[in-house]
Amino acid sequence: MPSELSAPPVFRRAVVALSGHPNGQRLIRLVAELAKPYKAELIGVHVVEIDWSMPLDMDLAGRSDEIQQVLDVAEGTAEAAGVQLESVLLQARDVGAALVDEAVEREADLLVVGLAYRTKFGGDFAIGKTIPYILKNAPCAVWVVREPIPEETS
Amino acid sequence: MIGGRRPLQGRKPGDRRVRVERPHSALFRWTGPGQLTAKEAASVPTTPRGKLYARLKAMLLGRPLASEEEIGERLSKKKALAIFSSDAISSSAYATEEILRVLILGGIAALAWGLWVSVAIAVLLIAVAISYRQICLAYPTGGGSYSVSKRNFGRRMSLIAASALMIDYVMTVAVSTASSIEQVTSAVPALTDWRVLLGVLAITLITIGNLRGLREAGNLFAIPTYLFLVSALLMIAIGTIRIVIFGEHGQYAAEFQNEVGSSFQAVSLILLLRAFAAGAVALTGTEAIATGVPAFEPPEARNAATTLAIMAALLGVLFIGLTFLAVNFGITHIDDPVKQTVISQIAGTVYGFGSIPFFLFQGFTALLLVLAANTSFNAFPRLLAILAADGFIPRQFAFRGDRLAFSYGIVVLATVAAALIVLFQGETHLLIPLYAVGVFIDFTISQAGMIRHWRRERPPGWRRRLAINAFGCSLTAVVAVVVTVAKAPQSLIVLALIPVLVATMMFISRQYAGQEAELAIRDDFVVPSPHREQRVVIPVNGINRAVVQAIVFGRTLATDVRAVFITEDSELGDALRLKWERQVPGVPLVIVESPYRALVGPLTAYLDVLDLAWPPDKDDPITIVVLPEFVARHWWDRLLYNQSAKRLKSALVGREHTVIADVPYRRGH
Repeated sequence: MPSELSAPPVFRRAVVALSGHPNGQRLIRLVAELAKPYKAELIGVHVVEIDWSMPLDMDLAGRSDEIQQVLDVAEGTAEAAGVQLESVLLQARDVGAALVDEAVEREADLLVVGLAYRTKFGGDFAIGKTIPYILKNAPCAVWVVREPIPEETS
Repeated sequence: MIGGRRPLQGRKPGDRRVRVERPHSALFRWTGPGQLTAKEAASVPTTPRGKLYARLKAMLLGRPLASEEEIGERLSKKKALAIFSSDAISSSAYATEEILRVLILGGIAALAWGLWVSVAIAVLLIAVAISYRQICLAYPTGGGSYSVSKRNFGRRMSLIAASALMIDYVMTVAVSTASSIEQVTSAVPALTDWRVLLGVLAITLITIGNLRGLREAGNLFAIPTYLFLVSALLMIAIGTIRIVIFGEHGQYAAEFQNEVGSSFQAVSLILLLRAFAAGAVALTGTEAIATGVPAFEPPEARNAATTLAIMAALLGVLFIGLTFLAVNFGITHIDDPVKQTVISQIAGTVYGFGSIPFFLFQGFTALLLVLAANTSFNAFPRLLAILAADGFIPRQFAFRGDRLAFSYGIVVLATVAAALIVLFQGETHLLIPLYAVGVFIDFTISQAGMIRHWRRERPPGWRRRLAINAFGCSLTAVVAVVVTVAKAPQSLIVLALIPVLVATMMFISRQYAGQEAELAIRDDFVVPSPHREQRVVIPVNGINRAVVQAIVFGRTLATDVRAVFITEDSELGDALRLKWERQVPGVPLVIVESPYRALVGPLTAYLDVLDLAWPPDKDDPITIVVLPEFVARHWWDRLLYNQSAKRLKSALVGREHTVIADVPYRRGH
């Protein structure tokens, strides 16, 4: 069944994690292209991690231009690809848990996360702790889109 | 929810998150530091009436489009030929008829000259096409006669060109639509009585299509031109074979044979010149390709020049071919009992009257003519937008509507063209004398502009190029005179209209220039801190919430705040003063008794007195008249309230050193 496995996922509603990484726009375009034929719903979620030393509901994200930019640029990229993207801004202690909880609440059938490539120290994918958490806890399909390795793009 | 943040519980006990509301996101998008872009929702009307209007508009014209949704399609030669040539090629549908209508005055024998007249026009077409090829190559950014003359002659001449172009575009719509309907009524004579209505309806449909943002670049628009071309060329081929090989010839109708004796005119040079002038309408639309060079695929100029040559060749073949068939089949116009166009009679003779190919050909011709009208709907509003940007016509003509179309220009074009259809009862023949005059004036100005261009630029081979344009210029100038004289007195309307349009545009330009000079500030000017004193005058009708709100607002603007109560009843004034001193301390109340019951006059007189009392050694103060206003919730509220405020406002607008501030009071505030 190699063709089925390699086929892009079919979904109705997807939560897309927006990290603010430059690769994010590529990710949105990709998901938007897949969503368009099925008129699938896209929800872009940006999570601002709040340290335990600060109150979770402190007025932080709402006032930051950079954070608004991440969401607005994502909306604009999706719109340019012909798809509407609802943007959601969250403050949480843990990014992975917030993304999974948002996907559950929205009854999403796909959760898309980007995986950045770290060029330092010989180059490696920065897998961190968020992606393993999502892979383990998400109740829906998870799609990890890796950033192209610099050699691939060149 | 606290301050736009909503706490949410996750699946696990410790997994809490807060959703942060983004109040701006519904209406704006962040596009750069300190920069927001309005979303569609920001333009959505909020009042019920506005919403209803927007819904109706959307139903008729479609949803509003964002600027980035504009399609900038580049055209291949094949597509461009169909799109830009529809105007020129469609003129072959009525040009032959116009020649024959003149020649018939010289009797049947004179009709034989029709072929030679069409050959002469074809020669003129070749000269014009060669000259315009040069414009394509010299002005790859678009060589409309307005831009060529603006660059080479300056303002006045370019405005003459623009005026001639405007008339031309309007006439293209009127003539093409009228002719299109005539093709339909020739095939279905029962519709003859409805031709004016059908013409206006056709213009209305084209208008709606264009207001919806219809683009002429679509494949849909290329199809009718090719359908007409194929069927017309096939018709010419079949007809020519029947005439040349089978020796088939037709007889003119009996009424024309009889007419010879009564209204015979010698086949004089004047008659031939008149026929030539009438047939010269065939050249209309030749300039379209030179105007649209940027729309071509690269290399734009080369592709446009090639397309122009192909178009001229096709038009020449069609025009001569149709005239050849008409002359040999003994066809000329029929007006009674039902009008039948020459081209429909040719189609009937070749394909068979009432046959399917006949109806198809008539349909293709009608479609092509509608398409030709549509080209003006693209070009005319764009010309007006350029003129508006240059400050020659009101600026609103440069604004694009919800669907990215220059709505004002489209509506003006449709209105004038529809009015012409009604005025001339949808008769192409009656409209033609107004046509072609502007076209040849444009041709001449463009060629003359090119002569200057070559003299100034002097690129390699400039002498040869200059000679070509000089030849084209003199030829079109002579034709312009011939056309004007031959089509007089109707053609003189166009000649009279051009100076009127030029004068109007120059007047508007002077107005805008004057206003701009008045508002201009020097580059080194730095806005100083305010140095003039301000005082606030509040006309009041008593003490109420609206007045209180106006006083509170007035106090934020100046320390010198006074209320003025104008009354004819002094007792009422005294009662108000008592109340005022108790309830509004610190704001003096001036009671102006008005025994003649006037309101506006005493108030302006009071303001004049205040001005006179101001110390002459100080700068004049700014007087802010704060008007308390009650916000109308229903349409009838507008009749019941604020009438005095409206009168005061209109009286005070334009008063020196005076600013009017409305303070609206909404119920529930």
